[in-house]
Amino acid sequence: MNPSLKLLLGVLIALEISFTRSWMVNLGLAVIGLVIILTSRPKLSRFLLLLVIPLIPAVALAMAILLQSNAGTHFAIVLFTRIYAYVFIGSAVTMTTSISDLVMSLEQNAHVPSKFAYGFLGAFNLLPKIVSEVNIIRAAGNMRGQTLHVWSPKLYFKAVLASLNWSENLAEAMTSHGFVEDAPRSYFKRIHIRWWDWATLIGVLVILQFALFGLHLQ
Amino acid sequence: MKTSNAWHLREIILLTLIAIFFGVIYWVVGPIYNVLTVALTPFGLGPAANDIIMGIWVMAGPLSGYLFKKVGAAFLGEFLGAVVEMFLGNQWGASTMISGVIQGVASELGFTFTGYKRYDWFSLNLSVLLTTIITFGWDMAQNGYIKYHVSLLIILFIIRLISTWLFAGLLSKAIINLLDRTHLMRTETR
Repeated sequence: MNPSLKLLLGVLIALEISFTRSWMVNLGLAVIGLVIILTSRPKLSRFLLLLVIPLIPAVALAMAILLQSNAGTHFAIVLFTRIYAYVFIGSAVTMTTSISDLVMSLEQNAHVPSKFAYGFLGAFNLLPKIVSEVNIIRAAGNMRGQTLHVWSPKLYFKAVLASLNWSENLAEAMTSHGFVEDAPRSYFKRIHIRWWDWATLIGVLVILQFALFGLHLQ
Repeated sequence: MKTSNAWHLREIILLTLIAIFFGVIYWVVGPIYNVLTVALTPFGLGPAANDIIMGIWVMAGPLSGYLFKKVGAAFLGEFLGAVVEMFLGNQWGASTMISGVIQGVASELGFTFTGYKRYDWFSLNLSVLLTTIITFGWDMAQNGYIKYHVSLLIILFIIRLISTWLFAGLLSKAIINLLDRTHLMRTETR
C-alpha cells in the first residue's frame, strides 16, 4: 500500500477508536495489526518487547478505572484493548514502511515541500549519532562530577548546541550536493497512488464503521 | 530582532534535531514513566504517571516556539518529535501521532494568542497553560479520564499543570537563558 495512505489509515483508525467503546473491535484491530506485524518478520526480541511494553499503560488504565471510578469492568477492558489496538496498528504501519519510502511518498503524493521532506530525512538519519551524543554529554558531565538529570538545563543546552552545529554542517553538505530549496526536482524513485490504495483505505474504513455499528446494535 | 516566517533547510534540520534530541534524552535518561506506572498501578493511580511525566513529553513545543520565533515552530517541534517516536516504536503506537498533533497545536496556540509578537515569560506560560488544558481534555476521551471521580480528576489536572510548568515553562526558560548568553541563536534563526 502507498506509504502516505497507509499512515493516514493508521491514524484515522486510531482517532476513531479513541471515541468508540467496543472492546471486540479493538481486539479485532489488534489481531489484524499483529498478523501484519508477523508478516514483516520482526526480530524475536523486538516482537516480545512489543507484546510486553504496552502492558504497562494498558494495565494502569484498566486498574484506574476499576479502582477509581464507577465505570465498571466493560470500560476497563475497552481501555485495555484500545492501547493494544493503537500499538499494533501503529507498528503494523511503521514496521512495513521504511522511513525513506514514507518521506518520498509524502513529498510526491502528499506534496510536502521537498525542503521539509529531505530536511527531516537528513535529521532522522543522524539518530544513532544523537543517541551517542547524549551519552557523551552525560559522560562529560560525570567526569566533572556533575550528574546531568532529565531536569538539568545544561543537558538540553548542550544538545541544542550540538544540533546547531550539525544542522549547519548537514545543510551545507546538502546544498553542496546540489539541493536547492523550492527548486523543481526529478525523482529517482517514483511512488504512485494506485486505485487499489484508495480502495483499501476506503474499504477498511467502511468495514470498520460496519463493525462498530453492528456491535453497537447488539 | 527581525525574523522572517519562511522556513529554510537549516532551520528545518535544526528543529527536527532538537525534537529528536529531546525524545532521545527522555529514553536514555531512563524509563521513568514505566517505573512510576508500575509503582502506582496497584493503587489504581497508574495514570498519574502520565501526568507527572507530561512536562517532559511536551517540552519541545514551547521551547522551539520560543527559540525559532516563527509561525508553526512550536507545532512542528512537538509533532516531528512524535513522528520520530512512533517510528522508534513507543508504547502508544498510532495514537502517538494524534497526541503529537494535539500537543503541537496546544503549545502553538500560546504564541498565536500573543500574535507571534511576544516571546517572553507571558507567552511561554500561556503556552504551558493551554498545553495542560488541551492535552487533559484529550486524555478525558482517549484514556477514559472522564470516568474518574471528580476529586481524582482535579488532582491529576493539578499534577499535570505543575509538571508542564516545571519542564515546558521553567526548564525551557533556563535553557533559553543559557542559549541567549551564547548569542548563537541570534544569527542562526534570522
